[in-house]
Amino acid sequence: MRVNPNPLPDLLAALNQTQLEAQEAALQISTGKSVNEPSDNPTAAGLLVENNDQATFNSGYLQSIGAVQGQLSTANSTLSSVTSALQQAISLGVEGANGTVSASDRAAIVIQLQGIQSQLVTLANTTYEGNYVFGGSITNTAPYVVDATSPSGVDYVGNSDVNEVSIGNGYKLAVNQPGSQLFSASGNDVFLAVNNLITALQTNSGISTAVNAVTSASSYLSAQAVFYGNATDQTQSQTTYLNAAQLQISEQQNTLGGVDLATAASDLEQSNTDTQAALAAISKFSQNNLFNYLQ
Amino acid sequence: MAGLFGSLSIALSGLSISQEEMATTSNNVANANTPGYSREVTDIAAGAPINEGTLSYGTGVVLQKIASLRDPMLLIQINQTTQQNSSLNSSMTQLQQIQTQFASSTSGIGADISNFFNALQQLSPDPGDLTLRQAVLTAANTLATDFNTTAKSLQTQSSNIDQNVVATVSQVNSLTSEIASVDQQISVLQNGNPNADTGTLVDSQNNLIQQLSALVDVQVIPTGQGITVATSNGTALVSGSQSFALTTQLDNGVQHIFAGADDISSSLTGGTLAGLIQVRDQEIPSIGGSLDQLAAGLANGLNAANAKGFDLNGAAGGNIFAPPPVSGVGAAATLTVSMTNPALIAASSDGTTGNNGNLANLSAIADTALANGQTPIDSYASVVSQIGSDTANTSADADASNSILQQLQDENGSVSGVSLDEEASNLIQYQTAYQSAAKVVSAINLLLLDAVNLGMDAAEE
Repeated sequence: MRVNPNPLPDLLAALNQTQLEAQEAALQISTGKSVNEPSDNPTAAGLLVENNDQATFNSGYLQSIGAVQGQLSTANSTLSSVTSALQQAISLGVEGANGTVSASDRAAIVIQLQGIQSQLVTLANTTYEGNYVFGGSITNTAPYVVDATSPSGVDYVGNSDVNEVSIGNGYKLAVNQPGSQLFSASGNDVFLAVNNLITALQTNSGISTAVNAVTSASSYLSAQAVFYGNATDQTQSQTTYLNAAQLQISEQQNTLGGVDLATAASDLEQSNTDTQAALAAISKFSQNNLFNYLQ
Repeated sequence: MAGLFGSLSIALSGLSISQEEMATTSNNVANANTPGYSREVTDIAAGAPINEGTLSYGTGVVLQKIASLRDPMLLIQINQTTQQNSSLNSSMTQLQQIQTQFASSTSGIGADISNFFNALQQLSPDPGDLTLRQAVLTAANTLATDFNTTAKSLQTQSSNIDQNVVATVSQVNSLTSEIASVDQQISVLQNGNPNADTGTLVDSQNNLIQQLSALVDVQVIPTGQGITVATSNGTALVSGSQSFALTTQLDNGVQHIFAGADDISSSLTGGTLAGLIQVRDQEIPSIGGSLDQLAAGLANGLNAANAKGFDLNGAAGGNIFAPPPVSGVGAAATLTVSMTNPALIAASSDGTTGNNGNLANLSAIADTALANGQTPIDSYASVVSQIGSDTANTSADADASNSILQQLQDENGSVSGVSLDEEASNLIQYQTAYQSAAKVVSAINLLLLDAVNLGMDAAEE
């Protein structure tokens, strides 16, 4: 069979191909990615978009958890202060209930209790980053306003909204409890109990009953405060979960679009060798033909 | 009977044939690198014998013709493969440019969608915070801008293709008119002398047809008089010595190709033109349509969700995005954030500052299926996969057709290519034949001299 007398186009095409492969391998090494264009791996390219979406969401959840935890811990420590203030009020009440206490001593106790009362108002009006923590969703106005005409001595001007924040896919965490549920719960109104205790001491009647009411309101409040501890616990375990998920996503990202440096380096080496071979073949392509031998 | 003069004329025929052969060889050598040139061989035969009684005398050698060696079937295959190959390569070049828009998973529309919903998420622990609200609007603006940029770059690509189409059509026209004029020369030569060597003209015509095949799908139909070159749907581009120019005309914003009054744009199946038109009329509108659907779906969904809640002033929520066109066409290119005041994001479901109830409605758009049944991010991921696989498939097909074309050209080279070794060996042969014939002439000359001298000697004696 007669051979094609001009194999140079074939050799040039081979050279072009090996150079293309070398470029591809060098690009993978320099970017550290095996999917530099969607056509490199169309399925992986699509999955990487979704993967990045999930990674963005997870880091967003982690960021939200950070913000929520600040709020939760402020509320939690405020409630601890409220509880200890109430303990103090109970001790004072018990002291005042003792029949040996003089009227002037009772008056002194009343003054102390009034101090506690205003401390409670201050605590119930606690803010976190400028937002009132216990006003439900009315966060820009202090939820408790002192009102001498009210039986509890205060008016609650917040609402009963509870906000939920997503801390995972489909995982919503309630992040606040309104004052109406914590301090002004019907039957366990902290302010009413303290105000009644003050009145009882002032009138020296029904002090023990009033003390019991404060005790009951205080334990109710403590029970409600467990909410914040629970919420904090949930954010902590979710943080652990999200961090693990992020790790998994980044591993997946690597599997999908990362480059196996050893393979890429050996590919580069291989295509460089091929390029050398193609170049050598072209340069050595017989420059001799029969004409050279004709005398 | 044969005499000395008869032998002389036989020897002369040998000399002249050897000269013809050497001329052919030198033409082959001279055209060794001429594109489209097919090597030529001399077709010689023994001269018709003269019969005298039972004896038959040879009359030397005659040149039948100088033939170009080519395989017409192979040339047809090369043309067809060239059409397919150029179409694939031109599509691939365009697709590779398009896909760079969708190359990054951490920037561009996909990441913008993720970032926008993340900004909403960050607002939920502190829905009244103006800085966080501004971050939502900023993310929305980035998203809109990237939609605009991507859609516009697709439009730019489409109009670049249009310019390319116009330029290619004018190349087609200049090639068809050259083919027709070569055809004219061939028929002039053939009419005068059916054995005329039209080899190199046919070569150059074939070469022109192959160049034309790279631009548009054509088939060549040999007729009694010259050839007819027609596109695969039957539109004649060349008929004998006449060529018919294609024209381009703007139709619906893109250049359409007309043969006479017929719009042949969508019936082209090969060559650069088909590849360009495929990307312009199929691929770009398909990606653009997906982006429009995504942009319109997001804008309408988020606007509707915002309307369910209350802004920071306690008023019912308004539009975040300017409402996209009802048809959805152009939604991506024109997507704009109409909300400028971050306080107007309707995070609250009851009008109070700290309520984040409606943010859940806004965030839910991320998980709500659009018209195509997919969530926004999945829709975008599908677009990325689609353009990626279209590019990869076209590129694989182009590679395969490159190899086929290369193989066919190798085969063609083995039939028609000039081998210098072969030519040198022929040259030796022809040289030897010429020298031998010259020796015969010289011998006859001596014999004739002897004969003439014989007469002269007799007269002197």
